Amino acid sequence: MSTNLNNNNEVSFVPPFLKKIFEYIKSTPVWKSIFRVGYPDTMPKRMAVMRSSFYMHIFPTKVGVHGMKIKYGWCMGGITFFLFLLLTITGILLMFYYVPEEHRAYNDMKDLRYVVPFGVILRNMHRWGAHGMVFTVILHMIRVFYTGSYKPPRQFNWTVGVLLLLITLMLSFTGYLLPWDQLGFWAVTVGTNMASATPLLGYEGPFSKYLGIQIDNDIRFALIGGTRIGPNALVRAYVWHCVGLPLIATALMIFHFWRIRKDGFSGPM
Amino acid sequence: MAETKTDAMISTQPGYDRMASWPYFIWVVLLCMFFITILIWTVSMFFNAPLEEAAEWAKTPNPAKAPWYFIGLQELLVYFDPWIAGVIIPNQILIGLILIPYVDTAPEVQGCYNYSRRKFQFVFFSFGIFLWFFLIITGQLLRGPSWEIYWPIIDYPLGGHEWTYPNQILKASQAKLHNLSLPVGITISVIGFIVGMTLPAIMFKKYFKELGIIKYSLVMTHVLLTLGVVGKILLRLVFGIKYVIVTPWFNI
Repeated sequence: MSTNLNNNNEVSFVPPFLKKIFEYIKSTPVWKSIFRVGYPDTMPKRMAVMRSSFYMHIFPTKVGVHGMKIKYGWCMGGITFFLFLLLTITGILLMFYYVPEEHRAYNDMKDLRYVVPFGVILRNMHRWGAHGMVFTVILHMIRVFYTGSYKPPRQFNWTVGVLLLLITLMLSFTGYLLPWDQLGFWAVTVGTNMASATPLLGYEGPFSKYLGIQIDNDIRFALIGGTRIGPNALVRAYVWHCVGLPLIATALMIFHFWRIRKDGFSGPM
Repeated sequence: MAETKTDAMISTQPGYDRMASWPYFIWVVLLCMFFITILIWTVSMFFNAPLEEAAEWAKTPNPAKAPWYFIGLQELLVYFDPWIAGVIIPNQILIGLILIPYVDTAPEVQGCYNYSRRKFQFVFFSFGIFLWFFLIITGQLLRGPSWEIYWPIIDYPLGGHEWTYPNQILKASQAKLHNLSLPVGITISVIGFIVGMTLPAIMFKKYFKELGIIKYSLVMTHVLLTLGVVGKILLRLVFGIKYVIVTPWFNI
């Protein structure tokens, strides 16, 4: 690609005295200790700037030209990860204002809408971002299937991706209960009632009565900490939503990205 | 078994052109981040996240709907008992998805949108995605009180958010349902399974030999399960059949 890296016809709008100040700052030991490569205007420097930076090193030094095209990859994997970061940031900020307690949770939601500065924007971004993440992760899976990108050597990374899809759905589902309004309460009631129909492990499921499974010791009881959605379910949803599932998702994402980094973007073989 | 290619081997493939990540790729990522942030921010400025009245155990809304991504499963509750719709089907979908790379190992078609050489894969996967979203749209937009179908224009003539006219009686289920007797149900299921497993093997001998018996069985089991779900939906809608197999322990 780009062979002529030294552009001599540069038009500068920066006054000369400012340029001198910039050049002085760039020559200081402090600046050089932070940015060790310098402006990456040659190919070796372009490689070095990626390789020598902790954060940039999540990207490869060189990428496949084919996989870069938007019409090929749709950017959906990257957008999903970015939405995860956005949801982490807005989620941490929401945690300052929200207490998962039966009598407080709903009032905290009202405070977020009417009292907390920018609280309504914060909650809206978290909500729409979460719906967006579920949607983009599904689109990402559809794209990977249609381009056959799960073929060797990427078979197991597809498996990890399916688990990440499941974790994304569970993250969204646990978050649904937290506002403690009628919408979330009954949606989670409907969802968790399905667990009581699990064969062998749910009290309404086939064959479970032979194992002594009842309403107070089945899999649904373990999920919601009671026989109906109540304060225990709220705390469980909160802890899974804010700690447990994000940790599992992060562990799986590290693996997912490491494999992509090693295998490169998929392209025609 | 296809040979596993490592990073070094991919980068030496003649068709695999590479370019420095800096600055183009980094720019794409940065612009993408800006675009998504602005999009989410703008949407959040104009549309408030839903917040209904405080949760109350005594007030059951009709209908109580699951979140949109699970509503397809809730929609399946019309046609299946909860242990199938809520447990077996989602688990089987996950198992099926995980199996995909291990049954579809033909290495030549990858990294491009190629329909002609992957017709079966395209059709089956697209059908599954279509079915999933079809159920979601039905459940989310068309289901009203008592989980009956409420059509967008016919049943909300004023374009309001109320389910019906103020004085109109809610819809009641008109369906008269009956079950197949056990021998008939088992016979139909077994014949369907045997024909479904053997007929494609005879019709497409070349593919059967390429796949081998294990991969073929795994693929066809999932195809038949998918068709079984559709078949059960049609049996219910067209013939009013509730259960195909009735036993003292479980019903299908």
